[in-house]
Amino acid sequence: MQGPVCMILNGQRVDVADVPPTTTLLAWLRERRGLTGTKEGCSEGDCGACTVGLRELGPDGKLVTMPACACILPLPMLHGREIVTVERLAAPDGRLHPVQQAMAEGHGSQCGFCTPGFVMSMWCAYRSEPRPSPERADALLAGNLCRCTGYGPIVAAASAAHDLPRPEWDDDDAAAAPTRLATLPTTALDYEADGRRFIAPVTLDELADAAARNPDATILSGATDVGLWITKRHFAPATIIWTGRVAGLRELKEDDGTLTIGAAVTYREAAARLAAHWPDFGKLVARIAGAQIRALGTVGGNIANGSPIGDMPPALIALGARLQLRHGDKRREITLDDFFLDYGRQDRAPGEIVTAVTAPLPGKGLHLGCHKVSKRFDQDITSVLGCFALTLEDGHVRQARLAYGGMAGVPKRARAAEQALIGQPYTREQVDAAAAALSDDFAPLTDMRASARYRMQVAQNLLLRDYLERTTPGVETRLAPATEGV
Amino acid sequence: MALDKQTTAKREFKVVGTRPLRPDGVDKVTGKALYGADLTAPGMLVGKILRSPHPHARIRSIDTSAAEAAPGVKAVITHADFTLPDDEDMRDILVNCMAFNKALYDGHAVAAVAAISEAAAKAALKLIKVDYEVLPHVTDVDEAMKPDAPVIERGRQAETVGEGFSENVTSYCEFGHGDIEAGFTRADHVIERSFKTEATHQGYIEPHACLATFTTDGKADLWCCTQGQYMVRRVCSAIMDMEASQLRVTPSEIGGGFGGKTTVFIEPVALMLAKKSGRPVKIVMSRSDVLRASGPTCSSSMDVRIGMTKDGRITAGHAKLRYQGGAFPCGTVEMGAMAAFAAYDLEAVRTQGWNAMTNRPKQAAYRAPGAPMAIYAVESVVDELCQHLGLDPLDVRLKNAAKAGTKASYGVTFTDIGLSACLAAAKAHPHYAAPLGPGQGRGVSCGFWFNFGGDTCVTLNVNMDGTVSVTEGNPDIGGSRASIGMMAAEELGVPFDKVRTQVVDTASLGYNEVTDGSRVTFAVGLATIKAAQAAKAEMCRRAAMIWGIDAEAVTWEDGCAKPSGPNAGDFPPMTLAEIAAVSSQTGGPIAGHHEVNADGAGVSFGVHLVDVEVDPETGATKVLRYTVFQDAGKAVHPDYVEGQMQGGAVQGIGWALNEEYIYGEDGRLQNAGFLDYRVPVASDLPMIDTVILEIPNPGHPYGVRGVGETSIVPPLAAIANAVSRAAGVRLTELPMSPPRILAALDAARPKAAAE
Repeated sequence: MQGPVCMILNGQRVDVADVPPTTTLLAWLRERRGLTGTKEGCSEGDCGACTVGLRELGPDGKLVTMPACACILPLPMLHGREIVTVERLAAPDGRLHPVQQAMAEGHGSQCGFCTPGFVMSMWCAYRSEPRPSPERADALLAGNLCRCTGYGPIVAAASAAHDLPRPEWDDDDAAAAPTRLATLPTTALDYEADGRRFIAPVTLDELADAAARNPDATILSGATDVGLWITKRHFAPATIIWTGRVAGLRELKEDDGTLTIGAAVTYREAAARLAAHWPDFGKLVARIAGAQIRALGTVGGNIANGSPIGDMPPALIALGARLQLRHGDKRREITLDDFFLDYGRQDRAPGEIVTAVTAPLPGKGLHLGCHKVSKRFDQDITSVLGCFALTLEDGHVRQARLAYGGMAGVPKRARAAEQALIGQPYTREQVDAAAAALSDDFAPLTDMRASARYRMQVAQNLLLRDYLERTTPGVETRLAPATEGV
Repeated sequence: MALDKQTTAKREFKVVGTRPLRPDGVDKVTGKALYGADLTAPGMLVGKILRSPHPHARIRSIDTSAAEAAPGVKAVITHADFTLPDDEDMRDILVNCMAFNKALYDGHAVAAVAAISEAAAKAALKLIKVDYEVLPHVTDVDEAMKPDAPVIERGRQAETVGEGFSENVTSYCEFGHGDIEAGFTRADHVIERSFKTEATHQGYIEPHACLATFTTDGKADLWCCTQGQYMVRRVCSAIMDMEASQLRVTPSEIGGGFGGKTTVFIEPVALMLAKKSGRPVKIVMSRSDVLRASGPTCSSSMDVRIGMTKDGRITAGHAKLRYQGGAFPCGTVEMGAMAAFAAYDLEAVRTQGWNAMTNRPKQAAYRAPGAPMAIYAVESVVDELCQHLGLDPLDVRLKNAAKAGTKASYGVTFTDIGLSACLAAAKAHPHYAAPLGPGQGRGVSCGFWFNFGGDTCVTLNVNMDGTVSVTEGNPDIGGSRASIGMMAAEELGVPFDKVRTQVVDTASLGYNEVTDGSRVTFAVGLATIKAAQAAKAEMCRRAAMIWGIDAEAVTWEDGCAKPSGPNAGDFPPMTLAEIAAVSSQTGGPIAGHHEVNADGAGVSFGVHLVDVEVDPETGATKVLRYTVFQDAGKAVHPDYVEGQMQGGAVQGIGWALNEEYIYGEDGRLQNAGFLDYRVPVASDLPMIDTVILEIPNPGHPYGVRGVGETSIVPPLAAIANAVSRAAGVRLTELPMSPPRILAALDAARPKAAAE
């Protein structure tokens, strides 16, 4: 359908037809709508000052409210969705929303520039889950930077909001949201402005067709990376094809011992299922960026993007995941390992799309350990990620798949180290031998995040840590407990 | 002027010391507060700045013709549009805002465009052709000081700089007293260590932004986020060669500054674009521009030598500090040299400081500028001596603590100070006795800041409806509208909610120094109290007039004018509101003013306790528990005092563990974004506990001391000392990032095995 971008903004239907498709939601809110409560602090999804509430109807028809960074969100991605900004939260008569009141009364602002972003992160959580523990509040707010307070009063306010009376106007508004959203178009979008196109198909066939017809198009998924190309590199492609509205790509299903994750399933959507089968995988996902990015970023995008430091591929490779691709009517399936050819190069033809990744559900004796190392615990780029899927039987290693990120130009298995373990007794000596073999597997690079020497040393130490965790019940090997859930 | 200390201590406050809601709180949680980028003007253009990709390059020529001809472009400017001011400081500020003959660092502005849209402005920047002759560059302080280093600018070296340095070394300073060599001889143990710290950034979340308008008859208006509208007026009027009265600067709500907004980076550029185009021009810096081309801290290289007796008495201290402050002369090392040993009462102490220019952006103030790194080095060596001699680190600090009467290494003699009280409080706190787990360690450090007062001007208007308007000239960066209003309410005896405090533009009030040096609650508070006293005196005079008695026979008590005693007459008290309501009949509006160059700010000390755990496999450090002890003199709004203590501690934690400027071999900044310039997030931190000590400052009517800066000073050493005790390795380079700690652990391992 050729036509405008149709969304709900603060309760009102808005159709937009006059802005280039790479216009960010933030620029549009501030410059076109005069809604300057949403702030720009970094334009790369790191600081959270631009956090808005994003609403849509989930696969089950229920209302989902999640935080999103407006600074890297191309406006057409709001098609069929609802946006809530800080200006909307207080009651029409001026009464503050509990999250606002708790922040004001708890002295959660100093300079106040980050405050609207924190308020929106808290509001999304307030609408979606019960009172957060301090640890949960830390995780909910790790995508928002504050430089004045040291976070204490803000974390306290996230909890204190639940002591205040319910905001009946906000509850009423949430109750009415599904009806509002139902008025928005559900068909494919073909938006054109400023000589550039933004196509948002709704079926897999439409998507495959659009991609095949426009092999030079940029395939957009969660925009958590492409959004940065737009804001940092002034990227303005002639055609963008967005996968986020394709129902078939947002499925998460299990059958015949296989978990299938549609390419447009977000981290937020995948987290609970991954955690249920592989607890460490769940903890890893909880450490990807902040809540705003996890709400938008997708499993498929993290793979198809081809970054050597994406956090999903090593875990999935360790699990023996396979990738499903489609080019027009042609479908194929490859192992995930084989998808990554070289730095910046993947086994994907122009016009071909990633449709899903599948992973065998854990068999008996299989355990996945995921170890992410970064300078900061949360919301940080990985220096080294080690993901180890071991199947132990009678004290011996029956199967071993060891995959690393940050150790080569692609996410990669450590085959020499695997061979040092397979069939051997699972002992400290064998683990040391596997660690030594890593130098046959990798020759890591030095960059500003870590030196080659540090990467190799940590990669080796992670094998040892993983061994200690598997063999010593109750051993404390990690500094901070990762917060469960996303 | 100053009240007696005893009086201050005994005084019972009604408003001061309570925790009312901040007056700007609701605007901030609803998104209504207006920051630098939030204002627009009719016909406004978007200003964009072209920046040098080279760390050091001669600018042979700049061709702007294609950009000028591009659609939507209304003005293009380069250095050719400006005239260099005579004043050297102003000249440096201008050249930092717009490169003249050379680009001096990666990100240095070389040209700017004003166009009808962001897209048009960005497109025009690409059409500007700059012909660069790339020159050798230097970004490291030690390298920059070597005689054969590439020289940033000739002719800037002070005569006091000795032989053997490159011309990049611009200044030398020296402080101290006593015979240090004799002192070292008396010591049972002497430790000398060398340290390096990388530059960090204030990391305010709001990027610099401004909106400039020029009228055709040469008047200008500027809206900007700044720590000092009068500073902006002074600098910009000098650069634009206009009279100060013709430039009105209005400060927006400020989204953090921490010292980084005490100078200008884009304001002269916006003014010149507005002048040339005849239209309002807005410039907003990107985060990458902020990191590349605003004012980070100095980086440093330091040698510290301290001698101690077996029973923990420091016999001598010597610090040699080398700071680089970017591509211009910089005096920050002097503050470091003055602060380094401030916490100690020493017979023999010497500090020396050298500043070097490098191909980096011109440094700006950052919370206690110059002190954190110097004190990190000193407090690390003190701690190592304690470890070596088996002494308790708090006992040793108590034994040597500066106190009233101590002659500081920088020359002054301290009056009442709170260091010993902070140390004693730390010693008695449950945190200090709490057990530690394996791999964990506890660190201690003292911190210090001078605090400033300075030029201050306040007007207090008593409105006819009985409310009070306080007009002040210092942007509210940490809750000062609340604390100023509280002091006005206290002095007048009216409820806090009857007072509204406004920060106004440069045309509305006399000169005020920038919001810096932790000066506002002290100096503006002092001026506010004095202005309130003037208003009270006037209200007493009005009441006396109404009652027909002598003004001297009227006193002010609990918000009312009262006859001072039975002899004065029998009149019911008149409230402020009653007097104000009839002011028109008694001589006109009632106001109080006070103008002062405030001294007596009172130095500030603090002590931090921290527990950390170090992960031996990855080198990562987790802060487990943190307690800040600080002397506030008198905490006007304790929540905001705690907020300053917590916020500064967390910035210091970031400096200690994660934050750093990373320059590549090519002289370019590699981590110009929050993605790779890592500031702490909520989950990196425990709740920062605070203990406020109140040792009244004799220089303030209520005993107030500035509290904003000291808190960033101790974390660097406190964490280094904790890491040393947790992991057995002493880090002498900041930040203590996981790779550095793992490398140190690695270096220590074979040695430990051999022992």
